[in-house]
Amino acid sequence: MTLRGGLLAGILIAATALLAISGGVTAQDGGSAAHSVNVANAALTAPAAKAASAAANSNAAVKSPVAAAAKPQDDESLTIEGEKRFHANCGRCHQAPQKFPPRMMATIVRHMRVRATITDDDMRLILRYMTQ
Amino acid sequence: MSNEIWQTWHSKATSPRVAGALALLLMLLIAPTLRGQSPAQADAQSNAQTDAIEPESISPVPVFTMGTGFITQFEGGTPNLDPLISPIFLIPLGQNWLIESRDTFESDLAPVPGEPGYKGVLDKEVDYLQVDYIANPYLTVTVGRYLTPFGIFNERLYPIWIRDLQSDPLILPIATGPSGAGTGAMLRGGFDAAPGIEINYATYFSTLSTINRIDSDRAAGMRAGIYLPGPRLEVGGSFQHLLQDDRSNAFGFHFAWQPTPLPLDIRAEYARSHNGSGYWIETAYRLSQAPVWTSALRHVQVVGRMQQFYTGTVVDPDLPTVNTNMFEFGLNYYFRDDFRFVSSYGRQFAFQGNQNVWTLGLTYRLAMPLGDGDMQ
Repeated sequence: MTLRGGLLAGILIAATALLAISGGVTAQDGGSAAHSVNVANAALTAPAAKAASAAANSNAAVKSPVAAAAKPQDDESLTIEGEKRFHANCGRCHQAPQKFPPRMMATIVRHMRVRATITDDDMRLILRYMTQ
Repeated sequence: MSNEIWQTWHSKATSPRVAGALALLLMLLIAPTLRGQSPAQADAQSNAQTDAIEPESISPVPVFTMGTGFITQFEGGTPNLDPLISPIFLIPLGQNWLIESRDTFESDLAPVPGEPGYKGVLDKEVDYLQVDYIANPYLTVTVGRYLTPFGIFNERLYPIWIRDLQSDPLILPIATGPSGAGTGAMLRGGFDAAPGIEINYATYFSTLSTINRIDSDRAAGMRAGIYLPGPRLEVGGSFQHLLQDDRSNAFGFHFAWQPTPLPLDIRAEYARSHNGSGYWIETAYRLSQAPVWTSALRHVQVVGRMQQFYTGTVVDPDLPTVNTNMFEFGLNYYFRDDFRFVSSYGRQFAFQGNQNVWTLGLTYRLAMPLGDGDMQ
């Protein structure tokens, strides 16, 4: 590859970057991620936190904390807990990714469970959050 | 690829027309996907799947994902062009199985004195090809070719679309070797040890493989870590015993911290074997809390890394041959979370001579379902 060819390639790839910009910028980058966690923490009221914590720590008795959610407020608190764990776990290695379609997300979360050795509860709560 | 075929391909690939066509093809491949994965569309998809989806009811679909990049590296004033494509396949089977693979196609094109253009060879490697069985919430059994779980960089941070600086840490080859992979079986998992305390572990056995592109050493080892989700702090250690040659040991420690109030990552590793010892410590800060020019600076990440390597009693060709110190400073711009411009400057200090190391490039991660990704 000559320098001229490399330059041409660079220009075309830069054009791709402009197309990407025109497609918008995800709101789930580092800064908003930290902000989201703060919001989630603030929104996690004491009863909801208790419910989420109880559900999250009951994997021995209840196989899925998500399955234990029966009331709407539990749903909401589990989703908030899922967002919290999403940022805590996924952000350990890379920028928090955007949401994908549910069946695709289920595969990616399973892959990350193996790759990043996240816990069973984390996997379920993150999948719940990422598919809502 | 034989030499004749490669030379034929190379002679064609060196023409600007072919290079431009390849770049155009890359752009056409990437651009629709970028737009197809726009946040608005993703949100629309998510909104369509509102409320009552329970994780247990979701049937996973095979996924194709790929990391790609074009990195230009100036090492001691010599430019190198490093295009890379790394396709990944994830194939879930039932509720507990996953087949996953990652291959890397990489070339290191450098100028040859007295000859025009850049020349190099295409390196092909099977990074991992493994079958995972999630036996229970505490245990996953992995069989096949897997990334050696020694430290955190090789297994979690290696892909070019993840790493904040494009150069490898000096100590990376310690215990992971040139391929970074083992061939055999592994037990791993993560679980809650107590409220706010998670344990993760991986223990493995790898057999000797001399097969080209899937080579590995005969070794056994383990890694264990403690993760505190509250302060987002992880510490851990790794150990490996080589079951061939001089049957040596290697050990290491890792540390990672993402303080909640700040968009800051701090990571560090230490490793030691008879081939040498050393450490690296890296910080990456996203300027999303900058008080001025927030909309522009929130895409910017500044990175710094300091590392030292000390030679051991046995020379490893993949490690520096003399004591080496290095610092690097990087500046990355995220167009999206999966598409970014990366750059860095580093200075390497060694007895045989100091040199500057510059990198410039673009990295991109593509992901798409191989089937209908939405719920039926």
